[in-house]
Amino acid sequence: MHEISIVRNVFETLQQTYPDKFERITKVQIEAGLLSNIQPILIQNAFEALIMEEPGLADIELEVLLLPIIAHCAACNRDFEVKRHKFVCDCGTPTKNIVQGQELQISRIEFLEK
Amino acid sequence: MSTPSTPKSNRMPVGAVQCDNTTLNLLKANDFVAKAIRDRLPEVLVINVCSSPGSGKTTLMQETGKRLSDKLNLAVLVGDPETDRDAVRMKEVGINALQIVTGGMCHIEAQMILQALDHIDLTGVDLLFIENVGNLVCPAAFDLGEDIRVTVLAATEGDDKPKKYPRMFLTSELMVVSKADLLPYVPFSVEAVTQDAREVNPTIEVMTISSLKGDGMDEWCDWLLSKVAEKKARLATA
Repeated sequence: MHEISIVRNVFETLQQTYPDKFERITKVQIEAGLLSNIQPILIQNAFEALIMEEPGLADIELEVLLLPIIAHCAACNRDFEVKRHKFVCDCGTPTKNIVQGQELQISRIEFLEK
Repeated sequence: MSTPSTPKSNRMPVGAVQCDNTTLNLLKANDFVAKAIRDRLPEVLVINVCSSPGSGKTTLMQETGKRLSDKLNLAVLVGDPETDRDAVRMKEVGINALQIVTGGMCHIEAQMILQALDHIDLTGVDLLFIENVGNLVCPAAFDLGEDIRVTVLAATEGDDKPKKYPRMFLTSELMVVSKADLLPYVPFSVEAVTQDAREVNPTIEVMTISSLKGDGMDEWCDWLLSKVAEKKARLATA
């Protein structure tokens, strides 16, 4: 639903963080945890729609990496992957300690050298 | 018809390419505003009430306002894509309320709350409800500066929702099963929904309420009063 605003956020964040490199960015990688409610294909579509309006951005490529949900079990002192949103370790201990899966962030950019 | 463009991955950029590994949070702006809201309301308990459309949030707010009017000072910010009908309903029962019209947007963002705070008198208010846009998906991602998130799930919606919309239940402290007076007539198991919700969020509390008939309303109001008291106690010791 709000993919367009997320993609706008991507461009605004890049412009603010890399004012001198922004024009030379060729690729942006976004990490989205499975708990972020992000659909890669919808982000991709929103991205394509926005760069059509901005000829200067036409050559930027977007990659969305989905990160699985990882939680920590205090009883076993180990991290485990949460499947089907069952936040319960194999040993039967429930947990709220989420190590990974809520991210929505730019993780890497590629840009042309001057 | 336009010709299909070359996939970008096949285009070789001219010149040498450099990489920067980074961590730039895309919800940073919202989280920043959410913190500003917390800083501005140290004495008010803020509860973000989320649910699907039609789960009975507004009726629950109305009945809560009537029951607690002599015990605490309550205000409501209510979000909807269009119309001010819910704020009108609150004001009809004497609740200090302000409508946030999101203009079609599927969720409230922290910025809308911050702006609304300039247009509602919160002097002496102990408890501020934010009645979010009816939607179990998008509002889950937006921190509104609340102390507590509560998700309302009507008995008529079915008991499979916690597993279908895990992030909402994961981030809620309490799940209110509303329209409990209809439980005898619909296939909804409070036991099953509690088990599913606790697989997503082991510490979630569950309460069964009928706003119209009054069942569970005492427990709900006592819970609210204890949370308001806890926040005031935290402020006093801070």
